[in-house]
Amino acid sequence: MMATLKGRRAMAAAPSTQFYRIKQAGDKLVDGFNQLGRQANFYASTLRSLGDAFVRYKGETIRLLAQMGLGSGALALIGGATVVIGFLTFAGGTVIAIQGYSTLSGIGVEALSGFVSAFVNVRIVAPLVAAIGLAATIGAGATAQLGAMRINEEIDALEVMGIRSVAYLTSTRLVAGVIVVVPLFCVAVIMAVVGTRLSVTMTYGQSTGAYDHYFKTFLNPLDLIWSFLQVLFMAIVIMLIHTYYGFTATGGPVGVGEAVGRATRTSLIMASFVTVAVSLAVYGQNGNFHLSG
Amino acid sequence: MTDTAKKPVRAVGSFYALSLDTLLAIPRRPFAWRELVVQTWFVARVSLAPTLMLVVPFTVLTVFIVNILLTEIGAADYSGSGAALAIVTQTGPVVTVLVVAGAAATAMCADLGARTIREELDALRVMGINPIQALVVPRVIAATIVALLLNGCVTIFGLAGGFLFSVTFQHVTPGAYAGGLTLLIGLAEVATATVKSALFGMSAALIACYKGIAVGGGPQGVGNAVNETVVFSFMALFLINVVATGVGVEVAK
Repeated sequence: MMATLKGRRAMAAAPSTQFYRIKQAGDKLVDGFNQLGRQANFYASTLRSLGDAFVRYKGETIRLLAQMGLGSGALALIGGATVVIGFLTFAGGTVIAIQGYSTLSGIGVEALSGFVSAFVNVRIVAPLVAAIGLAATIGAGATAQLGAMRINEEIDALEVMGIRSVAYLTSTRLVAGVIVVVPLFCVAVIMAVVGTRLSVTMTYGQSTGAYDHYFKTFLNPLDLIWSFLQVLFMAIVIMLIHTYYGFTATGGPVGVGEAVGRATRTSLIMASFVTVAVSLAVYGQNGNFHLSG
Repeated sequence: MTDTAKKPVRAVGSFYALSLDTLLAIPRRPFAWRELVVQTWFVARVSLAPTLMLVVPFTVLTVFIVNILLTEIGAADYSGSGAALAIVTQTGPVVTVLVVAGAAATAMCADLGARTIREELDALRVMGINPIQALVVPRVIAATIVALLLNGCVTIFGLAGGFLFSVTFQHVTPGAYAGGLTLLIGLAEVATATVKSALFGMSAALIACYKGIAVGGGPQGVGNAVNETVVFSFMALFLINVVATGVGVEVAK
């Protein structure tokens, strides 16, 4: 009797007779929990091998750095992550200009558009949109590459050749992603600010002097540094999530595609949670902000 | 060299052609009702949970920043107006976009891409079935409908989340928050946001279907196609957002 029960339990596919649905739900829960453990394990080993990425696989890290900045495949034709993130933040800045200017002019203080740019672009638009761009270009690209390598059994081949696959493939990508985010963030901030300024001064015809005065008065350099640190954090989270989903892709070509989708979804959610956590921690309840000086 | 220069232009051209074909195929019979229902359910299923997960941090962030500003100028009572403005006009449609493009469009592209490299689409054509009519049209319509509905969900959850956050953490009067909601936002803004999210859903699905049908070269090809779907749909959506916001602001005046 015991033996048959055990046999049934071992065969996951065979339905058991008693409380089948409850058992299935329980299995799902346990599986999700194990999945979390496997992810944490993977992240720990990626972080542990960071040294190897610097010392042993320097060439690979530099190669990835170049590839991430300027893109590969069809993305290289339009300029890679740099151009995509620049474009996204430029559009974000333009939207802030349109919405902000029209709302402010409703109460007659459109002169403060420069202030809105210094406040909203630096604190929300640049870090969030840069993170979205990172997840879409560099992150999803990494998932696609690693997933294809996994499906083609290239990762197993690396292991057979005695190369540490985690260090060689994921730690190098993490390092390259974090390094490449520095110039990308600069592009993001500049494009967001330029986007707002161009729309306000050229489309709406506000004088550049008034705009620049309020922009410079309210631009807080410390905010810029915090938002840079935010993006750095998000880059780490995004690269870890995307490499995990690529590294563990299963189920042929469609599996690779699904892994890319799942990774993008997860990393967007995690990145916005990181933004909120860092914002609340950094700016505090009163927002570290003084309009009247 | 000329080939690399021509490639993006060709891609834009064939994307345009696919969009026109899809538009023309919508009224043609037989309409793929069963596929439409299946796809709508699928898009809604994969999008709902990420939407709710994404709307919370986005709302908290915007409401937090807006409230800091309002408290500083002594207008914390208008917190509801600021939150409604930010959530209805921007956060709602943008979160909808991110989810529809990141969750639904990627899955569509992966599915169609896998069918393309297994030559299932060629098989359909041989059997006299137009793949655009049978597969692309229902997907595009499904994504449009779900984006439209998700926008409503996001807005409601956003406003409720903003209420909880403002009242419990930033000590805004609950009545003032609720009372201020309709101060800056009226029918025109809500209508603009609705149209915006429908446009977002449609373009994300069109890009996904185009990239899925044009895929080539095994697993790496499918992975790249999905990656490009995400990138191009985000770019298209931000572009549409700029234009639609501009038009919406002018219309609402």
